[in-house]
Amino acid sequence: MERQQGLASWLVCIDDTDDIGTKGTGEIAEEIAFKLSAGQPSRCAFVTRHQLFVHPDIPYTSHNSAMCFQVRTPLCQAQILEIAVKHLQQECAPASDPGIALLDLQAACDHQALIDFGLAAKKEVKTKAEAYALAHSQSIHLSEHGGTGQGVIGAMAGLGLRLQGNDGRIKGQFKLPGLEAGMVELSVAEAIEQTGVDCVLTDSGEPLCFKTPLQLSGKVKAVYREHQVCLLVYQQEGVWRNALKQQLKHY
Amino acid sequence: MTQYFSLHQGRWQLAVEGDNYQATRHIAAQCQHFIADDEDEQVDDQLRSCVNCARRRWLVGAIECTALSVRPV
Repeated sequence: MERQQGLASWLVCIDDTDDIGTKGTGEIAEEIAFKLSAGQPSRCAFVTRHQLFVHPDIPYTSHNSAMCFQVRTPLCQAQILEIAVKHLQQECAPASDPGIALLDLQAACDHQALIDFGLAAKKEVKTKAEAYALAHSQSIHLSEHGGTGQGVIGAMAGLGLRLQGNDGRIKGQFKLPGLEAGMVELSVAEAIEQTGVDCVLTDSGEPLCFKTPLQLSGKVKAVYREHQVCLLVYQQEGVWRNALKQQLKHY
Repeated sequence: MTQYFSLHQGRWQLAVEGDNYQATRHIAAQCQHFIADDEDEQVDDQLRSCVNCARRRWLVGAIECTALSVRPV
């Protein structure tokens, strides 16, 4: 059942799995990622959250976002789906409308078509029929697992936005020694070393050089830019600080 | 609580302009329906804020309070 060449890379995206007061879609995505990566962090480093269009005609519960991750695994598509769908069905809220999309990154596929769909889903109402038509045309697995199955739209859109590489926030926050006590002072190089981010990016999109001092406090979170995990910072009275949630919400 | 919101087709809505959350913090501080949403869905660093509530529904430039829409307080 395993690929002869070893590990292959996949994108997995889920949407519409939660309800008020239930486990979040991001947490379910992380759990699926953990199972698929056999607990090895190098095989799946992070989950991205992608904001989709908010409109009265779209039946999201509260925010309309999709969660996506890349995983390297020796498992074949059928095995991946067996694990992921089983977990999705176990953990999704009874009133939810979950969908899952799975993309083999080695397979021939029109990535731009997926990106276009993802970008469109951020500014217009898309339909299940459109999502399924795209999945079918590109031989991508897309399936629904309860309720109206509306989550297939976000699942498909999330694949495209992750492929595009310039959308979304990284799920979760960084734990740094000393952060709970208040503030941590690090250079950019030290922050990269301790968090594992690819770079430190200003709120105007410029990367900071390694020696630049930072003051980190509160929730330290990252965004996805140029296919990289970026710690977002802003300057206040000459000091570079990690971005506030009010700033992160625009990503 | 309904004095802060306006009713549009049976749904209680509150305009949210930019990143100014003073009103949503003030309202949430006295709201008995507040439930913090998943941390990754929060957009205000002050936790108790309508924009961080699992019962808010985001609209363009506004939120709907689904708790109020079910039972006005």
